[in-house]
Amino acid sequence: MSPVETAHKIYFEDVQMNVPLETPGLTLTETHAALFGSLTMSRPAEPGVIPDLIPLCVSSGLGWRVPQPPLVVLAFMGLEWRFLKSTRVGDTIHSVSKTVAKRSMKEGGVVVEERSILNQHGEIVQSGRLTLLVAKRPAS
Amino acid sequence: MSADLAVYFEDIPVGEEYASPGRTVTEADVVIFAGLSGDYNVLHTDAEHMKASQFGERIAHGLLGLSIQQGLLDRVVTAQVTGPLAALKWKFKGPIKIGDSIHVEARVTAKRDGEQPGWGVVTVARRVVNQRGEVVQEGETDHLVGRRPA
Repeated sequence: MSPVETAHKIYFEDVQMNVPLETPGLTLTETHAALFGSLTMSRPAEPGVIPDLIPLCVSSGLGWRVPQPPLVVLAFMGLEWRFLKSTRVGDTIHSVSKTVAKRSMKEGGVVVEERSILNQHGEIVQSGRLTLLVAKRPAS
Repeated sequence: MSADLAVYFEDIPVGEEYASPGRTVTEADVVIFAGLSGDYNVLHTDAEHMKASQFGERIAHGLLGLSIQQGLLDRVVTAQVTGPLAALKWKFKGPIKIGDSIHVEARVTAKRDGEQPGWGVVTVARRVVNQRGEVVQEGETDHLVGRRPA
């Protein structure tokens, strides 16, 4: 891989512990609920209520929109998550995350991220820990 | 159990098991989920890059698998059993590739009092199984279920 390519990515070695990263906001709409409903065929929520899994799913996209190069994720290993407050159409959410643990493995390394999703009132609506397998920097 | 029956916390038996229908995860599912979630990671969107990866091809988002299994289980359990989510513990054990067919096997494993009066918490253990019988995702979900009115 060329130096230019690797310089614009974050590898396991580059991950810093306990540095909070905040994403931009995203307004949840009827369209999110309708798309999610047709994609998953899950039971419709009450009108105006956003299905529980949408904020979690959207936060995975928001997580790439932080002021740092993208993390080279090899696989998503798991998560422990709490649903604290429901969200409604029109709510605007964003997430705040930080790395709380790192463990080097033979192939890549495990990174544990603590993430909270907040609404426009600053209330935490969902939070938990995600475990990712991240690539190590290739030998140059 | 009928999906239309009014069911309360007291009515849900620990040990009850469910099996969902299958569903084939398609390229369209992955593309729509990328748009919905905003997660355009190369794992899910760059076919050429993924040829050289451990998976050999694009894989479905883990959270797409989680979302699809929720819908699959909703088809076979009464609404209250998979009511509002309180907590989730989940492991992504293997990839879901485009064209794989998955189904869900689930079991009610525990019941306890909720923090708020009038509510109980039901724990459902779930396994997402592919067409080869491999468990690709597994975990448990806690759901808030209303108690029978006094």
